[in-house]
Amino acid sequence: MTLGGWIFLAASWSLILGLFIFSMVRTLRAKDDKQG
Amino acid sequence: MLACTLGSRAGRIMARERWGSRLGVIMAVAGSAVGLGNFLRFPVQAAQNGGGAFLIPYFVALFLLGLPLMWIEWTIGRFGGGFGHSTAPGMFHTLWNKNRFIKYFGVIGIFGPVVIYIYYVYIESWLLGYSWFAATGQYNGCTTQESMKAFLQGYQGVVRNEYFAGLGPAYLFFLVTFALNTVIVYFGIQKGIETLCKYGLPVLFALAVVLAVRVLTLGTPDPARPDWNVLGGMGFLWNPQWEALVTRWSLPVGDSPCYIWVPNAKVWLAAAGQIFFTLSVGMGVILTYTSYLTRKDDVALSGLTAASTNELVEVILGGSIVIPAAFAFFGPQGTAEIAQGGAFNLGFVTMPLVLQQFTFGNFFGVAWFALLFIAGITSSVSMVQPAIAFLEDEFGLSKKEATLLFAVNSFVLCHAAILFLANGAVDELDFWGGTFCLVVFAAVETILFGWVFGMDAAWTELHAGSDITIPRIYRFIIKYVTPAFLLVILGFWMVQDAVPILLMEKVAPENVPHVLGTRIMLLALFADLALLVWIAWRRRRAAEVLP
Repeated sequence: MTLGGWIFLAASWSLILGLFIFSMVRTLRAKDDKQG
Repeated sequence: MLACTLGSRAGRIMARERWGSRLGVIMAVAGSAVGLGNFLRFPVQAAQNGGGAFLIPYFVALFLLGLPLMWIEWTIGRFGGGFGHSTAPGMFHTLWNKNRFIKYFGVIGIFGPVVIYIYYVYIESWLLGYSWFAATGQYNGCTTQESMKAFLQGYQGVVRNEYFAGLGPAYLFFLVTFALNTVIVYFGIQKGIETLCKYGLPVLFALAVVLAVRVLTLGTPDPARPDWNVLGGMGFLWNPQWEALVTRWSLPVGDSPCYIWVPNAKVWLAAAGQIFFTLSVGMGVILTYTSYLTRKDDVALSGLTAASTNELVEVILGGSIVIPAAFAFFGPQGTAEIAQGGAFNLGFVTMPLVLQQFTFGNFFGVAWFALLFIAGITSSVSMVQPAIAFLEDEFGLSKKEATLLFAVNSFVLCHAAILFLANGAVDELDFWGGTFCLVVFAAVETILFGWVFGMDAAWTELHAGSDITIPRIYRFIIKYVTPAFLLVILGFWMVQDAVPILLMEKVAPENVPHVLGTRIMLLALFADLALLVWIAWRRRRAAEVLP
């Protein structure tokens, strides 16, 4: 695996994990607010 | 009579099925999106179209096409549900009620999922069958690509061989899978589909993590071939090949050659196509699922969460299983050939061979096929729902009547895929239902949403009950960029795929009658559905006009 491969893997995984964590945390928090 | 009709319609709207929880609808939409393509199609597309560099057009398509379409469909679905419509004909009519033809474009939103279901449920049944074969070690004797292919072809009934004498086992697993789908849909949105997805998706996620961890810790399985290792497999998928993204054109300027670099349309279209397939947009199923929301329910954040869940499964988990595993056991040359052989080859031939070589191979075999089966069934139930919801909403049929009617008709239609698989029927169904209809439907709904409904009303509707504010740049993207992107894709597909397929250029002469027969069946199905829409609207008009 080349340096370019590592960079693409890290960038893609970070973007997707960031998007997932942001949206899921906001969803669960909003759900809690509405239930509360 | 009018009061009675309106009253009964209002009553039906009030009594509509609803999702049990917000996470339930997100899991259901994510379950619809997460399918075989996440684990088989994505890694093959990436490996064949530039490796890591493929992720550049992929993310461009996600942000300019996938997410806008997700938001458009969630918003139209919830809006239409407020008028008692769960399917595209009624929703499109509500968005543009001055146009009496627009509801017929909405027929695609029922027709497409039914056509995909006809062959998808059969392929899904293979996964159930292979889970059984993995558990019982039935394919363990197949140790080469050729013998595993023969096993698959025997199972499909394409040939009779030492593994299978006929279509019997495949038909049995098809019956079980078909019955499972029917029962889940019969139990309804909350007790059937939501329950399946709320439990199914975490199981799928756990199985995918187990498989990915096992593959990523394989190291170098054969010390005699030190280059065949998992890291090399990750490199096969992720090392960027920049030359795949652009093509050099020579311009006839003066005496010396002049070159310009232009984007390689094939790779950009492959990325856009992958985003389309993976998010289940352009089918009509998200419209139906989100029609069971109320106006105070959020759609902006929920749409984003469903899309990001799908992306997590596709890029991180889907990218970490099949290609690295194939590379570690078959090397760079073998993996390139396997990838050329397509997604089915990878899933049903290569993976069983690879998994057999693991310690506890049968366990990992079951995990692999069970994972794909769960991904399949959470998608296939979503394809059934639009047709059933249409019969319930527009003809007042009960859930039992609508499910029974759909089951009988789709059961008959499935036999085109079962009996004529080797004659190109599935490819034909896949092109019209799984490719052509998606792009046409998405183009129609995007133009309806941004241009006919109007961007101001659309933006307000999208943010009603919303838990996030979508960046304003998306007003511009939804109105101009997404429709332009779709029209370009449609144009290229018409030239590259539709014309040669329409003229049956690649169909073997002996298969022409089967392909033509499939087309006649599809035309008849579309005409039937259009007729049902016409009857439903005629009945409604009559009920509203008569004293």
